[in-house]
Amino acid sequence: MGINRAIDRLWVAFALFFLALALRDVWIQTIAAPAIANNPHNPRWLLVARNRGTIVARDGTVLAESTPRGRVYPYGTVFSHAVGYASARYGTSGLERAFDAELAAPMASLDPREQLAGLLAGGRRAEPHGQEVITTLDPATQNTLFSALSQYPRAAGVVLDPRSGDVLALASVPAFDPEHIDTEFSSLLSDPATPLLDRATDGLYPPGSTFKIFTAAAALDSGTVVPSDQFVDNGALQVGSFVVEDNEGEATGVEDLTGAFALSSNVDFAQIALKLGTARWFEYADRFALARSMEFTLPTAIDHLPARNSVTPSILAQLAFGQADLAVTPLRMALVVSTIAAGGVEPRPTLVRGVRAATGYVARVPPGSLATPIGADTASEVRNLMIAVVRRGTGTAAALANVQVAGKTGTATNPAGRSHAWFVAFAPADAPRVAVAIVVENAGYGGVVAAPIARRVLGTALERYRS
Amino acid sequence: MLAAIAIAAFTLSLAPKGSLGSRWLLIALAGASVFWVWRQPAGERRDNVLPALAVLLSALGLVTIARLSVDLAHRQVLWLGLSLALVIALGETLDRFRRYATYKYIWVLASIVLFVLLALFGQEVNGAKLWIRIGPVQYEPVELIKLFIVFFMAAYLAETGDVIAAAKPWSLRANARYLGPLFLGWGASTAILVLQHDLGMAALLLGTFAAMLYVATRRIDLIVAGGAIFAAVALWAVHHYPYVATRVAVWRNPFADPLGHGYQTLQGLFALAGGGLFGAGYGLGHPSYIPDAPTDYILAAWAEDFGALGACVLLAAFALVVRRSFLAAERQPDLYAKLLLCGLAATLAFQVCIIVGGVLGAFPLTGITLPFFSYGGSSLVANFLLVSLVWAVGAERRHVARAIEQTERGTT
Repeated sequence: MGINRAIDRLWVAFALFFLALALRDVWIQTIAAPAIANNPHNPRWLLVARNRGTIVARDGTVLAESTPRGRVYPYGTVFSHAVGYASARYGTSGLERAFDAELAAPMASLDPREQLAGLLAGGRRAEPHGQEVITTLDPATQNTLFSALSQYPRAAGVVLDPRSGDVLALASVPAFDPEHIDTEFSSLLSDPATPLLDRATDGLYPPGSTFKIFTAAAALDSGTVVPSDQFVDNGALQVGSFVVEDNEGEATGVEDLTGAFALSSNVDFAQIALKLGTARWFEYADRFALARSMEFTLPTAIDHLPARNSVTPSILAQLAFGQADLAVTPLRMALVVSTIAAGGVEPRPTLVRGVRAATGYVARVPPGSLATPIGADTASEVRNLMIAVVRRGTGTAAALANVQVAGKTGTATNPAGRSHAWFVAFAPADAPRVAVAIVVENAGYGGVVAAPIARRVLGTALERYRS
Repeated sequence: MLAAIAIAAFTLSLAPKGSLGSRWLLIALAGASVFWVWRQPAGERRDNVLPALAVLLSALGLVTIARLSVDLAHRQVLWLGLSLALVIALGETLDRFRRYATYKYIWVLASIVLFVLLALFGQEVNGAKLWIRIGPVQYEPVELIKLFIVFFMAAYLAETGDVIAAAKPWSLRANARYLGPLFLGWGASTAILVLQHDLGMAALLLGTFAAMLYVATRRIDLIVAGGAIFAAVALWAVHHYPYVATRVAVWRNPFADPLGHGYQTLQGLFALAGGGLFGAGYGLGHPSYIPDAPTDYILAAWAEDFGALGACVLLAAFALVVRRSFLAAERQPDLYAKLLLCGLAATLAFQVCIIVGGVLGAFPLTGITLPFFSYGGSSLVANFLLVSLVWAVGAERRHVARAIEQTERGTT
C-alpha cells in the first residue's frame, strides 16, 4: 500500500470523526436540547425569574414586579395573601402561584423558525418577558381594609362587587412581607398566629348570626315565614336538651321578622329554623352552593356542614344562627351577602380581569354566576331586613352618612376564647356596588368590632369604585 | 486570504465596542496577516487557504472571547500579534525546515529542557505544573513540546519507517530495535504529562504518535497494540487516580452531581441546549455561566450564540485545514515532509476532536484548547507555528512539481 493511500485513509478516519462530532452537536442542540434546558439546575432559569411578569391592580398600580435586584412588592404586607410571594427557594403562593404559568418568562425559544426570524430581524431579540396579570383589586380599598383589620391580631376581610364577583380587596391579618419571604419563611411557618394562612379564603369560622341571612332567605323563599309573622322571644328556648339563648341573656320580646332580624334574636330564628326543617335547610345550603368548590383563583377551604343524619332539632336550632357544626370562609359569607345584593344571584368570585402578553391583552372570560339560590323577591325582602339592622338594630356602627348600608352582625361563639366578631354588608342598599365580609377573631361583638371596619371599607370602596 | 480578512473584519465588527482594543491594532494585524502570506518565496506554489483559515478561526475565536471577557480579548489580540510577528520573523527558517531533519535529537533535547524548566520553575495551578512565568508572560511549554515531538518522530520515522514496515510483527528483535527508542521517547513524555495530570495533552500525543506510525509503516498491528496499551493504561488510571475516575463518572452521567463535579459539563450542556439550531445570536446567549468558557469550553460559548449550524461551520473549517494539510503531505516527494505534515495535521485534528468530543460528552473531558479559537497565548503561538510550517513545508516547488507531472505522464 502506498504512503498516500495511508494518508487518505487517515483523512477518511478524521473526516468520519469530525462528522460524528458534528452530528452529536446537532443532536444535543436540537433534539436533546429541550430536555437539557428544562433541567432545574440550568442557571438560565434565573433570567426567567428576572423577567417575570408584573401583577397590577385594576387601575394599573403595580403590585408585584421583577427588577434586577429581585421581585419587588411596592405595597409590602398589604396585598400579601392576594398577590402572594414568588421565591426561588420556597416556591409561590397567591396570584403568583395561580398565574405562575402566565407570569413566568418563557425560556428563549429553540424553535428554529422563531430563531431564524429573530436573527433576520436584526439579530437582536428581546429577552422574553412573562405576561402581565391585571387583577380586580383596588389599592385604596385594600389599604383601608388592611389597615382597619391590622388593629387586631387576627382578622380577615373580603370586598367584592356583588354583580360581577370582582374581588376589590382581600386581606388576612397577620400578614407577611413577600419581599423578605426567603429570610422570614421559617419563622413565619412556626408563628402560632399562622401569618401564611389566608384567613379570607382558607380560614373556616362559625358564621354566627350573619348566617341568619341564610336562614331568613331560606324561610322566606320557601314560604315558611312571611315578613309580617310575629315571633316571641322570652330570652330562652328549650329545644331537646339544649337551651337557645340570646347574647347576654337579653330578650327581644314580641317582634315581627324585621325586628327579630334587626335585633338578632337567636330564640326567634331557632323557631324559624325548626319550622323550616332539616330537609329544606339542606336544600337551601345546596342552592347556595355551600360546601362546594367555588373555583376561585386562590385556594379556598370547603365550608363545613354538619352531616345530615346527625342534625337533631337542637342542632337545627343552632344552625339557624350559624353555630353548632357549621364553619364557612369569610369569602363564602361575602358571596352569601352578595346574593342578597344581586337580587338572588350568587356571583362567582374572581381576582383577575385579564392577562397582557407581548401579543396583546386577553381578557378573562367573565366567570358567570355560581348559583341562583333564591328569587329576586326574597332577596329584596332580606335586603329590607338588613337595612333595618343598620338603621335601628345591632349594626348601626356600619351606617354611612349619605349612603344606605344593608348589613348583618355576627358574634360567633367558639372554643378558642372570645367570640369572633362578624359583619357582612353591602351598599348602596337600593343599587349595590360593593359587598363586604369582615371577621375579627376572638374580638367580641360584631356590631362593636367588625361593623366599624365594614363602614370604613365601604366608604373607601364606594368613593373609589363608581362603575 | 483577503476574503478571510474581510470575513474576519465583519465578524470582529460585531464585537462589543472597546472589547478588542484599538481599531488600528486590528488593522495592523490584518496587514501583518497579508504580509505574512505575501512574503513567500518565488518558485513555489503554497496553499494560501491554510493561513487564511488560521486567521479566520483566530478572528472568530477572538469575537467569542470578546463577548465573554473584554480583558482576555485584549490580551488575545496581543498574543495574536505576537503569533503573526513570530511566523513572519521565522519565515525563512520555516521555509528551510527540511534541513533540520538531520538534527532530530535537538527536538528531544529541547523537550527535555522544557520539561526540566517546568519542573524547576513551573507555576502550580490546580495541582499541576503546566506554566512557566517569564515576567508578566505565562507560557505553557507543552504546546511547544507537542510540536517538537512531531518533528522528532517525523525525522526518526523517515529513516526507520521502511524497516519497521518490513519487520514481521512477531519478530521481537527487529521491532524492538527500531520501535524501542520511539516508544521510549514517546512513553517518557506521555508519562510526564500523565503525572502532571495533563491528560488531554497525553491523549493528543498518543493519537499523533499512532497516526504517524500508521502512515510511516502502514502496520495495523502496531496501531492495535498501541490502542490496547492505551486502553490498559486508561483503565489503570481510572482505578488509581480519583480525578480520572471522577471525569469518567461525570462523562457517564453529568446530571448525577449537578453542583459539584458535574457542574462544568452541565453548564456546557445548558449553553449548547440554549443555542438550538440557529443560536441565540451573537452576545445573546449566556455562556458566562460555564467555568473556563474562554478556554476549554469556548465551543459551547460559540455554539450557544451561533447554534448547531455555527458549530458545524467551525468543525468544517477545522476539517478543511486538516484536509488541506493531508493533501499537501500527499504532494510532497520525500517521506520526511510527508510524515511531518501528517503529524502536524493529525496533532491539530486530534486536538479539535479531543476537546470538542469532551465538551459534547462523546468521551470524558480533558482540558485542552480548541486550536486558534480558545483564549491562550501558548496555544495560539504554537498553532500559528504549526499552520505556518504546514504552509511552508507543504509548498510545491515548481521544478519538483514539473518533475512529478512528467513522471506521472511517463508511467500512465
